[in-house]
Amino acid sequence: MLLPNKKGYFGEFGGKFIPETLFFCLKELDDAYRQIKKDKKFKKEFKLLLSHYAGRPTPLYYARSLSDHLGLKVYIKREDLLHSGAHKINNALGQALLAKFMGKKRIIAETGAGQHGVATATAATLLGIKCEVYMGREDMERQKANLFRMKILGAKVNPVTIGTKTLKEACSQAFRDWVANVSDTYYLLGSVVGPHPYPKIVRDFQTIIGKEAKRQILSAQGKLPDYLVACVGGGSNAIGLFHPFYKYSKVKFIGVEAAGFGQGGLSAASLVKGSPGVFQGSKSYVLQEKNGQIKNAHSIAPGLDYPGVGPEHSFYKAIQRAEYEAVSDKQALEGFNMLSRFEGIIPALEPAHAVYYLKKLAKSAKGKTVILCLSGRGDKDLDIVRKYSK
Amino acid sequence: MKIETKFNQLKEEDRKAFITYFPFGFPKIAYTNDIFLALQKGGVDIIELGFPFSDPLADGPIIQKASACALEQKITIDIFFDTIKKIKKDINIPIVIMSYYNPIYRYKLAKFFKKAKVNKISGTILVDLPFEESSQYINQARKQGIDPIFFITPTTSAKRAKKIAKNSKGFIYYVSIAGITGPKALSYSDISSHIKDIKKITNTPVCVGFGIHNHKQVRRISFFSDGVIVGSEIVKFIDKNYKQINFLQKLENHVRRLRS
Repeated sequence: MLLPNKKGYFGEFGGKFIPETLFFCLKELDDAYRQIKKDKKFKKEFKLLLSHYAGRPTPLYYARSLSDHLGLKVYIKREDLLHSGAHKINNALGQALLAKFMGKKRIIAETGAGQHGVATATAATLLGIKCEVYMGREDMERQKANLFRMKILGAKVNPVTIGTKTLKEACSQAFRDWVANVSDTYYLLGSVVGPHPYPKIVRDFQTIIGKEAKRQILSAQGKLPDYLVACVGGGSNAIGLFHPFYKYSKVKFIGVEAAGFGQGGLSAASLVKGSPGVFQGSKSYVLQEKNGQIKNAHSIAPGLDYPGVGPEHSFYKAIQRAEYEAVSDKQALEGFNMLSRFEGIIPALEPAHAVYYLKKLAKSAKGKTVILCLSGRGDKDLDIVRKYSK
Repeated sequence: MKIETKFNQLKEEDRKAFITYFPFGFPKIAYTNDIFLALQKGGVDIIELGFPFSDPLADGPIIQKASACALEQKITIDIFFDTIKKIKKDINIPIVIMSYYNPIYRYKLAKFFKKAKVNKISGTILVDLPFEESSQYINQARKQGIDPIFFITPTTSAKRAKKIAKNSKGFIYYVSIAGITGPKALSYSDISSHIKDIKKITNTPVCVGFGIHNHKQVRRISFFSDGVIVGSEIVKFIDKNYKQINFLQKLENHVRRLRS
């Protein structure tokens, strides 16, 4: 089965729900991507950048103390060790090369936690392309360090002051910019969301995570893992890890969403608490009111603070290929501390959700092997954690 | 009234369509019917009644702000229909609903079009539903005799424009500029040459929207198109004036001036 199909569908999810003006841009993008995928020069350059510049392959680290503590065999895929601090650089480098190939003079991006913004600013600077990033005012406050990093890297950061002032609005603003600047601008979308072909392109650039992990786990223990665990906001690091294991049905996928305040409070758990809808370019699960208006999301982790999710995840949920769970702000902080104390690794708050979930998983899966995707490092989150700890 | 009937009427009168947009529930639900009737009185030929969406991707700041304001009042599609039902007998121009896909998708297409028909809706425009994703939507609209209206933009290829022109009923919405809604300076020669191209492939009326905000633009663009659509400018006017006592009279005068 070809996923997505030619129209950009994963089962009933995906598609292209966009204003007519953008249709042309998406076709141009799709055509260029098809061409570049087969291009030897592109592949060579991308590979070189990933290894010499970004720092791939990342280690698959056996976390002995955490494993002993939980009674699981936990392997950590160390995307946090990549240049610029998270898995986002895989996609940013790939798409920035694509932008260069297409002759675009300007790259725009949205960012929540700032990791995708930093990765895009990094890649754009490296390739000599002008870069502008849209970031919600609220996130600019929460992620000051990343804001400053983007500026140092020469990117222009445009504050978004409408609505919740977070990732959802930043994404809408980036689309609006694109509509108005279609000829010279490349929209470098940061997750497996949005209209086709973005969910496919971003996934393809992120599957390096799962491909490496598969090779590494086979060499470490001679068999495939029982579980893959990753956090899901839009879902790019999770798809990157899951997708290469898709056909191995014994390998269980668990995506961990943000339950935010927990219980009845605001969350960002689109798959666990949402319903199918059409939002920001594709049909997928989304947090919405009964009348089809999109709800505000909340998570302590700015990178998960988004009411939508990639269509491929919705498809995995529908066919029960993956399970999705939700972990609250408070629990994520516990995950944050757990990994820091047991392994000396300070995780970003996004994957801290996945770390906490291991504690739940341990109850039913004693002795099983788990690969956890540590999508980013925690330096950016120290202010938030300090504030919450008070 | 059918949109087609309106255009035939306009042809006889040798006039071009003057179409205005405003969002339902802005500034308050109670204003919607009065605004509607004031616009009708001011000589508007077709009214695009927006059903606001929380994430209006193609809209500029003016309509974004108005949408947010309308949504604060917890509007629903049922409330929308119940509201316009009250002036059903006073409406003598076509109403076109303009929205984004998700509220309609959640309401269910079949139910939406059934209710739309009962409430004298003539056409629908969904900003983020391109032709490729719209087969069910077109079927349901046709079933109720409602015109699904599609966009052609400066970036639409000739091949695509043909398909869109074939499926767009009532009129074709030509977007003046690659960009979002809101006042802009426009190039008449660009728009006019695109319209000439569209006219070669279809007999369906072509109306121009996005960016049009003054009397001069209305006049110039009417000259080479079948009609003009004014949106943000009307919304801005409502926002600025709705608290004044003679607001409805002012609004009526304002649109009369714009279209004259």
